[in-house]
Amino acid sequence: MPVTMQMPPSDSDAALLVAFGNGDLSAARLLTARLGPRVLGFATRMLRGDRAEAEDVTQEAMLRLWKIAPDWQQGQAQVSTWVFRVAANLCLDRLRRSGRSVPLDDAEEPQDGRPAVLAAMLARERAAALDAALAQLPDRQRQAVVLRHIEGMGNPEIAEVMDISTEAVESLTARGKRALAAILAAQREELGYG
Amino acid sequence: MAERSDDDDTLAVFFDAARDRPGDLPDDLSARILADATAVLSARTGRAPAPPRGWLAALGAALGGWPSLAGLATAAVAGVWIGAAQPVALEAFGLTAGPAAYELEDLMPAFDDLASEG
Repeated sequence: MPVTMQMPPSDSDAALLVAFGNGDLSAARLLTARLGPRVLGFATRMLRGDRAEAEDVTQEAMLRLWKIAPDWQQGQAQVSTWVFRVAANLCLDRLRRSGRSVPLDDAEEPQDGRPAVLAAMLARERAAALDAALAQLPDRQRQAVVLRHIEGMGNPEIAEVMDISTEAVESLTARGKRALAAILAAQREELGYG
Repeated sequence: MAERSDDDDTLAVFFDAARDRPGDLPDDLSARILADATAVLSARTGRAPAPPRGWLAALGAALGGWPSLAGLATAAVAGVWIGAAQPVALEAFGLTAGPAAYELEDLMPAFDDLASEG
């Protein structure tokens, strides 16, 4: 069953971007409040928890949005899709440059006995454990899983962000979830969902 | 629709936990992003965006700007002058009798006896 979550109206994002393109700085403030936290969360997961780099990526992605604003055509794409695509590419570039990238070819079945990420609260433990498990996935699998199951995007939108087919998205998310489930299985009892 | 797999059941609580933790945007990052927006806007228009107005300027704008404020000031000065100036025209009609023109019985006849007894 698809996982959905409340998304800001994309047409409003586009209207705000056009308003900014026409010189309205308050529109940029609203867009930052809407998109900034989501892009930062996504970039943080893509960069395996490197918050400082994730902030740089978020700033750069938003800067590119500001620059393209005057040329934005309503209906050409969703603003959030465009920003996530830019952010994803920036993250992948940084991972490759730093040698931290895990290409799909190197993807192995997850090992047992990964150290659990312990935190005080159960929900925080689960979220932290998920982030730790996500960090072990190949970049593209992680990207697809985060966009699908945390950002709540549909497969066609993810395909647009990642510049691949929807079938490829389905394959990546299925493999990613299989790997995540295996990593997290070891923590089943500890985290209280079994 | 794709079938729900065991993986979905296993991961559902983890994804729920991740979604229930909304990210926040640090103030300094928000300020950096908006500074970029301001710079982009300035570079394109060739001038800096107008700074935010103070409350006095906002009040003036709400009242209709400087022309309205000038009218308001004129009306206020006129009101003060009308209130303070001697009503000469009324004196001509004998309508400006002062307090000395009236006795107590004119104002409160029932108290006249009481007042005279002391």
